[in-house]
Amino acid sequence: MIDRRQALGGIAAMFGASLYAPLARAATAAAAKGGGIPVISEGPPSTQVFTAPQRALMSALSDRVIPTTDTPGAIAAGVPDYIEKLLADWSTPDDRVPIIAGLDAIAARAQTDYKKPAAQLTPAQHDALLTLAMDDKLPGGKAFFEPFRQMVIAGYYTSEIGITQEREYLPVPGSYDGAFPYTNVNKVYSS
Amino acid sequence: MAATDTFDAIVIGSGVSGGFAAKELTEKGLRVLMLDRGIMVEHGEGYPYDGKPAYEVPARNSMPPAVMESDYFITKHGYVTPSNRKFYNDDRLNPYAYDEGSKFYWIRPAAVGGKSLIWGRWTFRWAPEDFEANKRDNVAIDWPIRYEDVEPWYKYVENYIGVSGSRENLPQLPDSDFQPPMQMNIAEKWVKPRLESKFPGRKLINTRLTNMTEDKPDQNRTKCQYRNQCGNGCSFGAYFSTQAVTLPAARATGRLTLRSDAVVTNLEYDATKKRVTGVRYVDAKTGQAQVVKARMVFLCASALASVQIMMNSKRPDGRSWFDSSGTLGKYVMDHIFRVSIGGNIPGMTEYIEYGRRPGGVYIPRFRNVGGDEGVGFKRGYGYQGSAYRSPAGPVGFGKSMKDGMRKYNGWQFGMTAFGECLPYEDNRVSLHPTKVDRFGVPLMVFNVTFRDNELKMMADAREQGEAMLRGAGLTDVQSREGEHVPGDAIHEMGGARMGADPRTSVLNKWNQAHDAPNLFVTDGAQMASVACVNPSLTFMAMTARACDNAVKLMKAGTI
Repeated sequence: MIDRRQALGGIAAMFGASLYAPLARAATAAAAKGGGIPVISEGPPSTQVFTAPQRALMSALSDRVIPTTDTPGAIAAGVPDYIEKLLADWSTPDDRVPIIAGLDAIAARAQTDYKKPAAQLTPAQHDALLTLAMDDKLPGGKAFFEPFRQMVIAGYYTSEIGITQEREYLPVPGSYDGAFPYTNVNKVYSS
Repeated sequence: MAATDTFDAIVIGSGVSGGFAAKELTEKGLRVLMLDRGIMVEHGEGYPYDGKPAYEVPARNSMPPAVMESDYFITKHGYVTPSNRKFYNDDRLNPYAYDEGSKFYWIRPAAVGGKSLIWGRWTFRWAPEDFEANKRDNVAIDWPIRYEDVEPWYKYVENYIGVSGSRENLPQLPDSDFQPPMQMNIAEKWVKPRLESKFPGRKLINTRLTNMTEDKPDQNRTKCQYRNQCGNGCSFGAYFSTQAVTLPAARATGRLTLRSDAVVTNLEYDATKKRVTGVRYVDAKTGQAQVVKARMVFLCASALASVQIMMNSKRPDGRSWFDSSGTLGKYVMDHIFRVSIGGNIPGMTEYIEYGRRPGGVYIPRFRNVGGDEGVGFKRGYGYQGSAYRSPAGPVGFGKSMKDGMRKYNGWQFGMTAFGECLPYEDNRVSLHPTKVDRFGVPLMVFNVTFRDNELKMMADAREQGEAMLRGAGLTDVQSREGEHVPGDAIHEMGGARMGADPRTSVLNKWNQAHDAPNLFVTDGAQMASVACVNPSLTFMAMTARACDNAVKLMKAGTI
């Protein structure tokens, strides 16, 4: 068998040239960013993702995805703020594109069908527009609907209302029962 | 450092191995300096997100892709989240490299406590045949020790740290001294007898875990609270970590000095006396380097970081002082584990789990137990799994969806195979010929791949896993096999194996470097083979054993 140490030691330059991704990427990122470990952005969005009409529509639609029932809905849980923060700072810029496009398509359809700014429609009208998007019956509808729905779900079930009111946050001291009667379950347990 | 500071021993690294070394050596009367390259994390107060729900964690505890891609592009294959990321290495600041075609995930910690803060906590003894396997299979070199050499130290460590589990009397998976097991849930209890009767000799057992089921008031530790948020740090001290267990013990002696942010670059060596004479480290905060001295050094920096430090301790000709055998950096191993099998368990929907149990159930190795069965590969694998019910994920939107999300799906079962990797000479690491990190240490270069034996083993694990779940009566049984990348299991081992012959091994049977009797390497680097079970308990047992011997040697004046 070839002694790999000897073989590689003799062709150090070629060896160096064959080295792969982590090194190269790290060097590039470091040059671009400098400094230490990055901070995860908190506080208000660092960039304005939505125009005022887009924001109003996005907010109204989020509350149709998860409406107020016997527990608060998406707006009460702060989901619109979460979505704007997510799209501004916690996701990639590409993620904004289908959301903005979808909101604009829904607004255009609102003008066509109801002759009103989209944010001023009734809940039933918002539901109708969301259904069109879900069924891909308006431009960019499908590309908008599922990511938007997932953002609402993520924002809601990780909010204080989602975790402690819609769901149940298990107490400490805690215990385990591997055969707990389902009839005793009042709410889904938060993770 | 004040000129008056003197130490009997220096421990490099503070994970499961280094923490145990510090505890054992200080308790035996030695003055110990423990160095760790990571930041300081104190038990409790150093866990900012312990017990915090997602809305109290940055970005709702979901790592923003830009940060993940720029700084955690290797660590993302581990389990990094915003709530635990200060325990994880920043890949951008601490690069390494691999050869073309030899992708390796080197997933490292970044805090005092090392991986003990973030580990999986599954805790198994190795079996007698694990220490005999190389000899039996005529693979690599024989272990210089046998199970009986380690057994008392397993017992000692288990009783100290607390291991929950069930006694099973299996030759391939010796019982530990257990606290009571975490109970199986009703669906796992349903699977167990069906699987075991359909496949005689195969077992589905309670997990073995260093999450405690009984308090240890003498250690100020409380049993598991079933939060399953262990990776955020546990202020109850319910699972084993350096912070909760070994660091307080070492500190209680009054003989421990701990320095965090201390990046060891190399060891100094006296070629005439054949001794390590000093440990050089760089203060990560100031960039200042200094050398500290002691009679002995315990190198516990994690397997491949320990190898890196040894390799960077160079003779004038560039070779390591500790590589007279030519085996340093070779025979690197990891477990292979990207095969998972799952299915649905019928019925029992009138029951659910209350509480979030860490761990689950285990199917111990059944292949080639006691001898080669002619199944086309050597060694074996086990499965880690659990049964669970997930909240439903209805489509659509509105009240009907919201209501739908208040229900749970039926019982599902999932498990993942962990297989043994053979030691291959040319699975190796080396120092980069030109590139150095920000502390001046040459980058590690990995050239490690899984081979035919491992891939055949995983194919068998997939096939057998499907057969067992179907045979047990599960429905919709499916399996998948992901990309097998060494390092991914975070069970990397080898590189400074122990052996009886100094010409073919780096360490002797007491973890002493053949080339420096006052250097002890007791982390994963020592392994001559890796069994198929999780290794941390063996690291701890071997560390305690080596410490006991080292102190005897020191008192006898031989080191």
